[in-house]
Amino acid sequence: MKAFIFTCSVLLCTSSFMQAEELYSFDDPRKEKRFYSLISEIRCPKCTSGSIASSDVPVSRDLKQRVYELIQSGSSNAEIKNYVKQRFGASSDYKPAFEGANYILWLGPFIFLGLMITLFFLRRRL
Amino acid sequence: MLVEIAHFLTVTSAVILLLILFLNVFFSFAKPHANQIVLSNKLFNQACFLIFISFGLYVYLAAIDDFSITYIANHSNSQLPVFYKITSIWSAHEGSMFLWIVFLTLWSVLFVNFLSLAHPLKKGTLLMLTLIILGFLLFLLVTSNPFDRILPFAAGEGADINPVLQDPALAIHPPMLYLGYVGFVISFSFITAYLFYGDFNYPWEKDIQTWSLVAWIFLTIGITLGSWWAYYELGWGGYWFWDPVENVALMPWLAATAFMHSLFASSKSGVLKTWTLFLGIMIFTLSLFGAFIVRSGIIDSVHSFANDPQRGMYLLGFSGFITIIALAVLAYRLPQLQSSKLIVAGSKESFLSMNNILMLTAIFSIFLGVTYPLILESLNGNKVSIGPPYYNTIFSPLILITSIFMMASIDGLWQRGMQLRKLYISIAPTLFVSGLGVYGIWHFTQIFSILAYVGILSGLLIIVSYSLKTVSALRDKTYLNKGSLLAHVGLGLLFFSISMNSILSYQKNINLFVGGEQVINSKIPQFQFVDLQKIKASNHDVISATIFLIHDDKPIYLNPEKRKYFARGQITSETAIHASFLKDTYLTIGDQLEDGSWTFSLQINYFVKWIWFSSALMAAGIAMTIFKKKI
Amino acid sequence: MNRVFSLLLILLPVLILIIYGKILLTSQEDVTALYDPKPIPQFQLLTLQGQEILPTEFDGISLLNVWASWCITCLVEHPFLTKLSQNNINLIGLNYKDSKSNAQQWLKKRGDPYKFSIHDPRGDLAFDLGVTGAPETFLVANQEIIGHIQGELNQEKWESIFVPLIRSIEAQNP
Repeated sequence: MKAFIFTCSVLLCTSSFMQAEELYSFDDPRKEKRFYSLISEIRCPKCTSGSIASSDVPVSRDLKQRVYELIQSGSSNAEIKNYVKQRFGASSDYKPAFEGANYILWLGPFIFLGLMITLFFLRRRL
Repeated sequence: MLVEIAHFLTVTSAVILLLILFLNVFFSFAKPHANQIVLSNKLFNQACFLIFISFGLYVYLAAIDDFSITYIANHSNSQLPVFYKITSIWSAHEGSMFLWIVFLTLWSVLFVNFLSLAHPLKKGTLLMLTLIILGFLLFLLVTSNPFDRILPFAAGEGADINPVLQDPALAIHPPMLYLGYVGFVISFSFITAYLFYGDFNYPWEKDIQTWSLVAWIFLTIGITLGSWWAYYELGWGGYWFWDPVENVALMPWLAATAFMHSLFASSKSGVLKTWTLFLGIMIFTLSLFGAFIVRSGIIDSVHSFANDPQRGMYLLGFSGFITIIALAVLAYRLPQLQSSKLIVAGSKESFLSMNNILMLTAIFSIFLGVTYPLILESLNGNKVSIGPPYYNTIFSPLILITSIFMMASIDGLWQRGMQLRKLYISIAPTLFVSGLGVYGIWHFTQIFSILAYVGILSGLLIIVSYSLKTVSALRDKTYLNKGSLLAHVGLGLLFFSISMNSILSYQKNINLFVGGEQVINSKIPQFQFVDLQKIKASNHDVISATIFLIHDDKPIYLNPEKRKYFARGQITSETAIHASFLKDTYLTIGDQLEDGSWTFSLQINYFVKWIWFSSALMAAGIAMTIFKKKI
Repeated sequence: MNRVFSLLLILLPVLILIIYGKILLTSQEDVTALYDPKPIPQFQLLTLQGQEILPTEFDGISLLNVWASWCITCLVEHPFLTKLSQNNINLIGLNYKDSKSNAQQWLKKRGDPYKFSIHDPRGDLAFDLGVTGAPETFLVANQEIIGHIQGELNQEKWESIFVPLIRSIEAQNP
């Protein structure tokens, strides 16, 4: 009887050990890094602000799961972002696309810097 | 009754301030009265003290749970410790605006009385400050009255503030931040008075230097506290999200940094005067912009106070009004301010000019990032999201350029260009050691990210160059500005730590039953879910997990929690952190799955302590400068 | 040169004032996002009754409403949806992350305004549509999604957002 209880306890303990698993388990550490970096760049569609990495609402979890599946099945970062954007809109990417009006956004600071430096060389008196 | 008295005192204060303005307008048309400034000063002091008494009363009323006052009923609760009853005053719009005004008044009354009666700029400064305080008092009383009562029946109990706000760091974050923000009203008003007054030989820099340094320290500490709180409380492991509300706190800080450096050049060498005056105005303007963004409802953020656009319009209008006054008088005086000296290329002044340009570019970038989505959305409804990927990309090269100029400027001389040969000699060792450092880090970590390595290089350039300078100054027994050294090394360390944090940190999601354990990786061979307890505290239920893990041969116990607060049914997650020298073991508990197991999020965040330390170094460096009283 | 700077010092703040003033004012009105029409994503789901769904169900003008028995706001919009369905609007439900029995019970108790409801227990179709929660409603014209409202549908939103879109479609295909 004692042996029976003991064996059961051992089995129970080891079974909880064996049932432990990572929610997003990766074999490839590069894919793992890509995953965590991607989810910090995808905006949570439901929250006022923040990425899906920092959010636990249901749609964020669904998105994280889908990103995980897409990475595992070999999609590239660009493909994954497009996949998400098709469904949740362009604003779900925290990195604005480099096109159209967004040129002002990406180039603005450097144009500004160039302008200021030019002015400085011309005036040198302020 | 008391709240009506407090209300009355504030209204009286506004009336007195109005009186000061009228009197001075009257006197400037009639014959100037000999005691005009004495009278104005007395009235001003009285008006300020009334505000202090009013706020003191308000604090008392919050501490004794006067729930007949609408604001206190909405944001406090009798179960709260007294400390949080008081700090709940600034947890939302009306109360925090009140605090803002109190600090505005505090800085103003101290500075005005610091200026001697004979000081030529005392009147102008006093008038400007009167105008500003009056404007915000009217805003408070007319649109955001904290003194409103719930009549005829007081609320039986308060609504309880957001449990996330019941935290010591978060309680002092707004006061620190506001002290910093509004501290720059001094430079704003003083400079405006200086520009009106018109004697441009007056050594105005000395008068406001210390005051601005102190405000700068508060701003640095305020921003850091917010960041630190976000890190340990919010559970996502980050400390800065480039959220619009964070950004509008950073812009004044950048302007203040540029201003302090420019002030130094202006007082030392007479150049960059226009820059300095402009920056001195811009800091407070940017603070006002920040207040507008946060309180107008224009931005959706976890941070912003929900508000109606009418308040936004008033803030925008009033801020615009006083800014345009200041900038207009600057524009008017521009020709007279021009320095007769040309800035020599390669001189210390030229480096400081470059610093101004770079800081201004940084401010512009942030302003662009905040404004662009708003314009786009109001034009055609398109939404674009701007966050860390954008700002990190833009700031990375800016930081590198800044650090290169900082490195080159260390041996700069006033009004003389550096010999190129000397420059090469001084920067070659820095470049070598920094390059070695970058290579070493890459070799050791085997991780590569271009943005992060730009940051690492930038940080190293600054740290190494200032260290080498220290060594040579000690060796040659030449002058060493210790405050400046500390502050700059702090900045370099900040760049370094942020970058190292971004490449080395990693996280794992774990799923375990109670009693279960697993191997995480070679550094964490054991992670065990020891126990789960359900506890009832005074105003919330707690689920507390006990986790045991071994990290780099160190045994660690962690207790992440989930809490459910009764008052609003809100659920929060309490992060468990074990902070060691190089890294933080950071654990949050997630949800229970259908099969009964629990999810955990384990993060190993590197160099986090270094980030806080860098900030402290910068603040300490600035403080040291104040105490050494060196211009 | 000085004059240029002086002018800029005054013009720039004025410009920023105007820009932000305008932003503040327009944020009060409902700015309907220009919605890029996109086809209904393919799906393999059945109705709550277990029947197959043909793409032709989405011909003409229809509303696809995301709802669930656990969704409290859905109760709020339910009367309005009932009113719409009584006015010959083709109303199709998307039952989101719900069990069949709970969903059917809810409809039985409150009334079923839908022509039929698609049963999407895992939220697959909802995910492909970009749904972030319930309730949400999509305006569909000839198997293409041309409009989207998040949160509950009411008279105001119906009139200001969907009706203009419906009118423009009807104008194109009389």
